[in-house]
Amino acid sequence: MSSFFGRFKPGTGPASPASGSTPTKKDPNAPQPTPLEKLLADAGPIRADGSDKFFGFENFGSTCYCNSIIQCLYYSVPFRDQVINFPTRSPLETLNRAPTPLPRLNTDMPSTANGQNAALSPSKARTSMPSPNQPSPRKPATTPGGTNTPQGTKPEDNKESPEYKKKLAMAAGPILNMDYENSRSYGMAESLFTSLKDIFEAIIAHRSRIGVVSPNKFLEILRRENEMFRTAMHQDAHEFLNLLLNEVVENVEQFSKQLSSRSEAGNGNLETGLANAISSVVSTVSALESGPTFSATNTGWVHELFEGTLTSETRCLTCENTSQRDEAFLDLSVDLEQHSSVTSCLRKFSEEEMLCERNKFHCDNCGGLQEAEKRMKIKRLPRILALHLKRFKYTEDLQRLQKLFHRVVYPYYLRLFNTTDDAEDPDRLYELYAVVVHIGGGPYHGHYVSIIKTQDRGWLLFDDEMVEPVDKSYVRNFFGGENVLACAYVLFYQETTLEAMQKEQEAEGLAAAKREFESEKEAVGVAAKQNGIGNGNGNGNWNGNWNGNGNGNGNGNGNGNLQNGHHHLHQAATPVAEDADHFVNLDHAATAPPLLADQNPLENTNSTPIVPVLKPKKSNIQSKKERSREEKERKAAEKELEKQAKQKWKEMETRRRQNYKKQEDDYRAALALSKLTKAEEDKRIEKPHDEHAGGKDKENGHGIMGGGLSRFRQSSMSLRHKPKFWLAKDKNEYDLRESPNAKDLTTPRPESGSSGTPDKPEKRKSRFSLGRKKSSLFQ
Amino acid sequence: MFVLPPPPRYPAGAYGSAQGGGPLIETNNILTHPSGPEHQLVVGEGTYKLRDDLHLATPPPHPSEAPVHNPNPLATTISPPTVGTKLSLVVLAPRQSSYLRLYRIETTDSTRSQVPLSIRESPYEGQSQASDAGSHGNTNGVAPIEDMRTPAFGEGNPILSLPNSKAPKDPLKQRKPKSNIIKSNSSFVSRVIPHENLSRRLQEHNPNGVYAFANINRALQWLDLSSPIKEEHMTKILFTKAHCLCHDINPITKSPNHIDFVMGFSTSDVIWYEPMSQKYVRINKNGVINPSPIAHIQWLPNNENLFLAAHMDGTLIVYDKEKEDAAFVAEDQSVSTEKPPSDTGRNVSLQIKKSVQSKNQKTNPVAVWKVSNSRINAFSFSPDSRHLAVVTEDGSLRVIDYLKEQLLDLYTSYYGGIICVCWSPDGRYIVTGGQDDLVSIWSLEDSMLVARCQGHNSWVTAVAFDPWRCDERNYRIGSVGEDCRLLLWDFSVGMLHRPRAASVRQRGSVTSATLKAQRSRTDGSTSRLRSNSNLTSASLDGEDVIHPVEPRARTAMLPPVMAKSVDEHPLCWLGFEESCIITSCKNGHLRTWDRPQEGSGSEDEAPSTTSASASASASAGASNA
Repeated sequence: MSSFFGRFKPGTGPASPASGSTPTKKDPNAPQPTPLEKLLADAGPIRADGSDKFFGFENFGSTCYCNSIIQCLYYSVPFRDQVINFPTRSPLETLNRAPTPLPRLNTDMPSTANGQNAALSPSKARTSMPSPNQPSPRKPATTPGGTNTPQGTKPEDNKESPEYKKKLAMAAGPILNMDYENSRSYGMAESLFTSLKDIFEAIIAHRSRIGVVSPNKFLEILRRENEMFRTAMHQDAHEFLNLLLNEVVENVEQFSKQLSSRSEAGNGNLETGLANAISSVVSTVSALESGPTFSATNTGWVHELFEGTLTSETRCLTCENTSQRDEAFLDLSVDLEQHSSVTSCLRKFSEEEMLCERNKFHCDNCGGLQEAEKRMKIKRLPRILALHLKRFKYTEDLQRLQKLFHRVVYPYYLRLFNTTDDAEDPDRLYELYAVVVHIGGGPYHGHYVSIIKTQDRGWLLFDDEMVEPVDKSYVRNFFGGENVLACAYVLFYQETTLEAMQKEQEAEGLAAAKREFESEKEAVGVAAKQNGIGNGNGNGNWNGNWNGNGNGNGNGNGNGNLQNGHHHLHQAATPVAEDADHFVNLDHAATAPPLLADQNPLENTNSTPIVPVLKPKKSNIQSKKERSREEKERKAAEKELEKQAKQKWKEMETRRRQNYKKQEDDYRAALALSKLTKAEEDKRIEKPHDEHAGGKDKENGHGIMGGGLSRFRQSSMSLRHKPKFWLAKDKNEYDLRESPNAKDLTTPRPESGSSGTPDKPEKRKSRFSLGRKKSSLFQ
Repeated sequence: MFVLPPPPRYPAGAYGSAQGGGPLIETNNILTHPSGPEHQLVVGEGTYKLRDDLHLATPPPHPSEAPVHNPNPLATTISPPTVGTKLSLVVLAPRQSSYLRLYRIETTDSTRSQVPLSIRESPYEGQSQASDAGSHGNTNGVAPIEDMRTPAFGEGNPILSLPNSKAPKDPLKQRKPKSNIIKSNSSFVSRVIPHENLSRRLQEHNPNGVYAFANINRALQWLDLSSPIKEEHMTKILFTKAHCLCHDINPITKSPNHIDFVMGFSTSDVIWYEPMSQKYVRINKNGVINPSPIAHIQWLPNNENLFLAAHMDGTLIVYDKEKEDAAFVAEDQSVSTEKPPSDTGRNVSLQIKKSVQSKNQKTNPVAVWKVSNSRINAFSFSPDSRHLAVVTEDGSLRVIDYLKEQLLDLYTSYYGGIICVCWSPDGRYIVTGGQDDLVSIWSLEDSMLVARCQGHNSWVTAVAFDPWRCDERNYRIGSVGEDCRLLLWDFSVGMLHRPRAASVRQRGSVTSATLKAQRSRTDGSTSRLRSNSNLTSASLDGEDVIHPVEPRARTAMLPPVMAKSVDEHPLCWLGFEESCIITSCKNGHLRTWDRPQEGSGSEDEAPSTTSASASASASAGASNA
């Protein structure tokens, strides 16, 4: 099972442009830039640090958990830097690498890259290779679970749908097919770390700023070594994050240990790469040791970034003896409550808790299981705080995991209240920079995407292959709540300073103000003339304005306040000759949040579909035709579904409204009043039914969804598999921790070279991820 | 055996962001009377009981504006700003006008005696506003709090005072807006539904009863809270697509047959509405003056015509209800000169795009101040009508002397945006609530953070003082938040004198001394040089104005005296009335909580005891922190 929408079969992506609905694609000037391409239109030379690369990740069927987490890690700047720089390559190597950016790219890569890149990004055509050859269809033979299903017709036709955009992204390329491994060139054994490093390096080295990564090798290694992730089932993104971080720690440690033993042996015939690697490790180590907060045991840079220390204080109620233990964590798992905030979840995390009944504490002093009070506070604050919101909760009576849809608000900036008195820098300021969102009704299926703040391109939405700029306020759409399917699941906060925060806010505000100022000037004139007219046609006005003003402003509008003023100025300087393209593109731009849409966002909701491959002149007409045809088809289909759903829905509604008979009548009256409203309502209610009642999924004729049945069969599999894990985690949490064995687990083990035998992911998880189950919650 | 996941609905009841909420669309308000211990608030002074729960009907979307729901939960389109239900309350009986009437002055403390004087002054000022407008302020060299008389806004500008003198010609006959809202063919207003017996209900209305104006979605309802059929609206206005985000009643112009009511909309429009005659005027039409939505709106204190609107782009604009719109172009001086400093560092001064002293006062706007580049969430006028506290989404609290158009202080939240702000009845403290889940108390005199109040489990959306439970030394603060809970806090001056806080206080008093000196200095200069806004803003350097974030270890933490979940939905408004507390939530539930019935005897003791315990635990909390 693939994404939540399940309509797009990822493996077939590359084949689609040839057979699909995009025949006019060959004209290099015709295609419309995606919002992302527009955002990057003014970008200067490509940077070496990879901060201006925006690659999607191909979904191989339910691998969105992996894609979303890797994206978050890629944009964790210090983490990316460390991955790139470890181990350091020799200067010779770097020289060798220079002319051929990707040493082991598979052979069809470059041509694919050039051709497609040029084809889809006309604004960049000036700089990139002028080879508008037909995109060579990539063989998805190596992709796990890839099957060639016939092209779907319906969903892809909706130009607004993520499926369509993903397909487009795949078609556009370039595709970095990461089915090779490069680890030998820096002397490491193949591991999750090396394949992650290979991916990062390939992204950075590629000459295109955008594209799609196919993380074949990475998944191969992941699945080879972890049974848990071997199936094509929906996986838990947080578990994966934890596994990945622990793997990286292990791989790096193992490598450094290997090196030091080798160098101790004084083996003369070390490769240069290895020698370099040693020096790099040594330097890393020394750097870390010199760091002020670094503990005696050097555990590498992952720890330095993600690791914090929790002090758990347990007071035995029998002997009043208080025992303290420090535990390291790589991320914090917090319990959720309805209508709460992340701040409050963290405070609850550190609230005093009674250990009694099943959770009794083994007191060394009294020598037995005793009732005790326990609380955990943060002693050392991590540089990157990964917060896992425990939305998947095991419910006893249902014998399965359930998703909690609680509304949990999270601020853009955060400080931690739950620090110990002796904590260093207890007022440390964190900023939110990445959110992993889970979309779906339950833990066994669904989709993950991430929303990430990039260095200078604002917030971007990473949805598998698709990358799209979003407004800053978009981040707040995922607080969750009753009937909100998409909610934040993992939050990444990184340390920052008040000055940096204020500077950024100032810049954001200035950029917004600047745009507003410009628009204001125009708006004044237009609005003054149209005082008599209602603002129903507000959107038209704005578009008119932008059009009249040329593409510079048009782009600015489309991109929301993602770029700074600098960017804006550059855009204004784009040659006038390209205006024609941009006029047409304005429709398209509406998918990105227009800054001034505040006045008329409703129109935007229904914004016109993207017409990416048609010639600019025609596109408007065609799109209209298409739209209306589409509209008709959809309406017909909807009516069908409506009829079915209506009966059910009405029953449900009536039951719910038994107490509100009178209101029901009023409601009907209200419905009758506006037919549109009603249609809307029905659609809204009935669509989700569709999604969940399974079989009704008419829309995806091509679907790998295969109806509801197979879906539930899959979840039953995960039922057998997963609750065991979760149960173990929740129930044995304290046992694990309090037992002597837990000490071993919590203390770093550089010698543990057994790189992940499949049967112990649980243990490794509990090693660093500290969740806790609260027995009683404070009211 | 699988239980199907709950039937999901995409657009969702996501509070705030989603349009129209869930499918529960009712056209009639529902009044219920829940009872039981879960509907009681137990505090030191007694038990508050839920009187009733009035659920306002959420109107269905307008047919022409029916939002097309995107089934994609990741849709990147921006929904228009909307807010939960907020209330504007008014009692028409003349002497009831100010809640400060009940302010207890008999317990006046010798050290602070001058402060309540200025407070007591304000109600009188309110009544003698007309004469006040013509009078002059003797402000030279006098610190504001010691000054008895508050000058009127823009009094130095003779052009501005012209309409003012015209207005009160016939005090009984007030100016009404021009257009009839019922007969209006404006596309802005969709429908107006007066109650069938409106005129009879108006006549039967008890002059001491409370009228309320409440926004919900695209509707605005005028309610008579003292009526036996209070669930039936007096008048309901449905707007086509605009959501009324904020509204206010002018307390000084109200009379049995006149209420001046202003609303700010998500479309940036403003409507001045007179409900008795059903007349209205639309201002900033189609955003001709400023196109961004209005987050907060309030009449200028003691002013019949002027009101202040906070636009979400960070601009504060003073409008005159009587004036026509005119396309606004920033008036030269400040715009050009203020830009450079704002590029380099924080914008520490008020950017005056149009001063109230401007000679061009024929049309709206009267004054335009760019306060911040980020969204303004709320503002509040000090009880002495001199200061304005403005809070923004970037987490700053600004104290502005709006009469002199000058920024006095700039504070920053612990983290996250600040959502709400209010003043203590005596004007000495400012209380804010925000995304750090904290209620923060700031002292105006000492220019410092006094205490942080921790207890909410989510963002704090509204704060208010209970003037009936405040005296010289003790203050009762109420706060509501996204956690659906109402918290009450007792804060006493005594806790400031705790030994532990002494060092902090020392530091604070130094600041206040310099600040006072600086204030009087600018007082002296600005009265003469007002028209040159450059000079006044330049005379303030960032050092005095910007206050750093206080670390947790140095700040007192105050625990609540009562915390209770009072609704199933996030709360968004809170009001204290003489007989009750009123809360409202994002789904349109207005809940009225009757004050304890106990005799007045215990009332005098209760606050002091609770505050004593509060301050005791506050010190404990502080030492814990």
